[in-house]
Formats: sequence, structure tokens, C-alpha cells
Amino acid sequence: MALHLNLLHEEILEQRQRQRDPLKIGMIALVGCGVLLFLYYTWNAYRTLEIKSRLTTIERAWKKIEPGVTAAQKRVADLEGVIKTTRALDDYIDNRFFWAPVLQKVSRCVAPNTQLTNFEGAVQDENREIDVSLEGIAAGREPRSVAEDLRQMLLEQFHQSYSDVKAEFKTLEDLDTIVNVAGTHMATAHYILTVNFNPAAMPKPGESPAATRARKQ
Amino acid sequence: MKVNKDQIKKLFLSTMGFIFLLYVYFSFFLGPLNRSRDGMLLEIKDLQSKLDASKEQMNKAVKLEQQAKTSTGRFAALKALNPEGAPIAWFPPRVRAFFANQQVDKVVARLEGSTGFKQTELTGWMKYSWIIDLPQADYGTLGRAIAELENTAPLLSITKLSIHTLPEQSQFQHVGLAAVNIIEKK
Repeated sequence: MALHLNLLHEEILEQRQRQRDPLKIGMIALVGCGVLLFLYYTWNAYRTLEIKSRLTTIERAWKKIEPGVTAAQKRVADLEGVIKTTRALDDYIDNRFFWAPVLQKVSRCVAPNTQLTNFEGAVQDENREIDVSLEGIAAGREPRSVAEDLRQMLLEQFHQSYSDVKAEFKTLEDLDTIVNVAGTHMATAHYILTVNFNPAAMPKPGESPAATRARKQ
Repeated sequence: MKVNKDQIKKLFLSTMGFIFLLYVYFSFFLGPLNRSRDGMLLEIKDLQSKLDASKEQMNKAVKLEQQAKTSTGRFAALKALNPEGAPIAWFPPRVRAFFANQQVDKVVARLEGSTGFKQTELTGWMKYSWIIDLPQADYGTLGRAIAELENTAPLLSITKLSIHTLPEQSQFQHVGLAAVNIIEKK
């Protein structure tokens, strides 16, 4: 076996030590990491720039449309307001109570031997109930029955168009006065009649409540 | 491999430097970049939803415009029923002229008060209460006049009606009306 002498042992050892210098290895690792981080950052920056350009395009499109959209929104709000207000006004108009038909009905009920001296009518509770007060003088052999006939006529007439009709005498008293009606002397009675009714028409007898509900919907 | 004291110190310093580098990278470079990207993505999402909604909104406005033609026409007609100016200035003469046309003279109309509506739809409108006095009217003429008034003035409703005979003139009656007229706020 040949003898091998390594005269450069110390130099080789030093060189190996230099190569395995932890600081150097650390620096290399640090640079490697730095390069990786830089690449990652560049990739992110590229994505961000791409997103920014997308945002710019969308912003430009929105700026073009925005005035039109704002105007459309305002117009929609205005129109919705107009529709709602018109509906509310129509409801108000439709729910008004008409007095002319009442006067017509009363005129149909008053016979020549009954006289009306006073008529008072009022709408109560937002058109839910109507109160009418009639004051007058009835003349006849039986003036009280003449007044009762008037009450019956009023009930009959008002039932044709309204519901919950009530007609009651508040006062009915004989008077001493004798009047001449068509050449005949007749006794008289003073009456005050109150008539209450609901302006909503009576449901027809054939109608079932279910049908009424369905129509309301 | 033996690591001497000096090398340990260098290693420690390198590690510290690396940590510091990472901190700077994430806090001052990548962090703000990501935040700005997320912000932009949110903005894009928001704008995109606005753009999508805008198309719907425009279509809705066009459709509503077509559907609301009747309502807008009716609304304009109802508004046109009442002239410009203070109601106290035009309502009494108008009522007087109306009843004069119906052969009822000497009509006086007084303003009793005005109130607003509770309904939110009618906040732009006011209820004006009037007392209308007809000192000389006959029943038949009055009935026809009231029918005409109720048919031609849809925004007016009579709330009270009183008719009294006149002892001196049996052919005439004294009539009092309480009426409410709806007028748009100016």
C-alpha cells in the first residue's frame, strides 16, 4: 500500500470551512427567498394592475349610464307617487256620499198632507253613517198614521239604496191647529223623524259572503 | 460540523434580518397591494351590481311610464280642477257663479278651516272646509243643483246639509251646506 501524504490538509480544511460558512449559506438562502418574494410581488402587482384596468373600464361605463339611471330612478319615484296619489284621490272621490239622491228619495216620500219644515243631514265617521233628521207637520183624520206612513215610506225608499236603515220618531205629538187641505179640514201632528243609514248598498239576497269576499280581492 | 460562537452570532443576525425583511415585505409591499386589490374588487362588484340594476331600472321606468299614462292623465285632470292661487280667492266666487247658473242666488261661501291628510299619499293635498249659505232656494232646484255640484266637482264632498222653511216665503227654503274640498298645496 502506497503511502499518501496530504501536505495541503490545512488549506483544504480552511476551504471546506469557507464553503460551509453558515453566514454565506444564510445569505444565499436570503437572496433566494428575496427573489421568490419579489417574483410573487410582481405577479400580484400584475394582477392588481389588471383589476385596476377592469375597474377603470367599468367606472367609465357607469359614468356614461349614471345620469340616465338617476333620471330613471327619479322618474320611477315620481310616477309611483303619482299612481299612489291618484289611487288615494280616486278612493276619496268614490267614497264620497251623495246628497242629491237622498233629497230625491225624501221628495218621493212626502205626500201632499205632510209638510217638511226642517231637514238636517250629516255625514258621520268618515262616510260610515249618515244621520238625517226631518221635522214637519202631518195632516189628516189620523195625523199620527199619516206621519207613520211617511216613516214607512222613508224606510222603504232608503232600503233600496242603503244598508242598516233605521227610521224612528223622536217626537210625535198632536197639535191643536186644524188645517185645510184640498178643501177638507184636518187635524195636525208635529213630528221629528230621525233616519240613520249606512251609505254602502245592501248586499243582494242571492249573494253569498264568499262571493263578496272574492270580488273584493 | 462545529459552529463557533462567531458563527452563531452571525446566524442569529441573519435570522433577525430575514424576519425583518419578511415583516417589511408583508407590511409595506404585499399588504397594501392586496388591500388595494381587494378594495378594487369590491368596487367592481358594487359597480357591476349597479350596472345590472340600472338596466332593470331603465326598463322599469319605461314600463311604468306606459302603465302610468292613465294615472298621470287623471292626476293632471284632478290638479287642473282647482285653479292657481289662494282657495279663499277663487272658491267663493266659483260657488256663487255655479249656484247662480242653477237659478239659486245670494249664495255666500265662507272658509271654515283647513287640515292636512293623515295618509302619506296625500301629504301634498289639503282639505278645505267651507260653509255655503243659500238663503233662498226651492227644494227641486236645490236638489238639481246639488246633483250637478256632486257630479261636476269630484274633489268636493258635502258633509252637512240643512234645509229650513222660510215662514214669510213658503216657496223658498234657507239652505246651509258644509262642504270639504281637496286642493293641492301650492
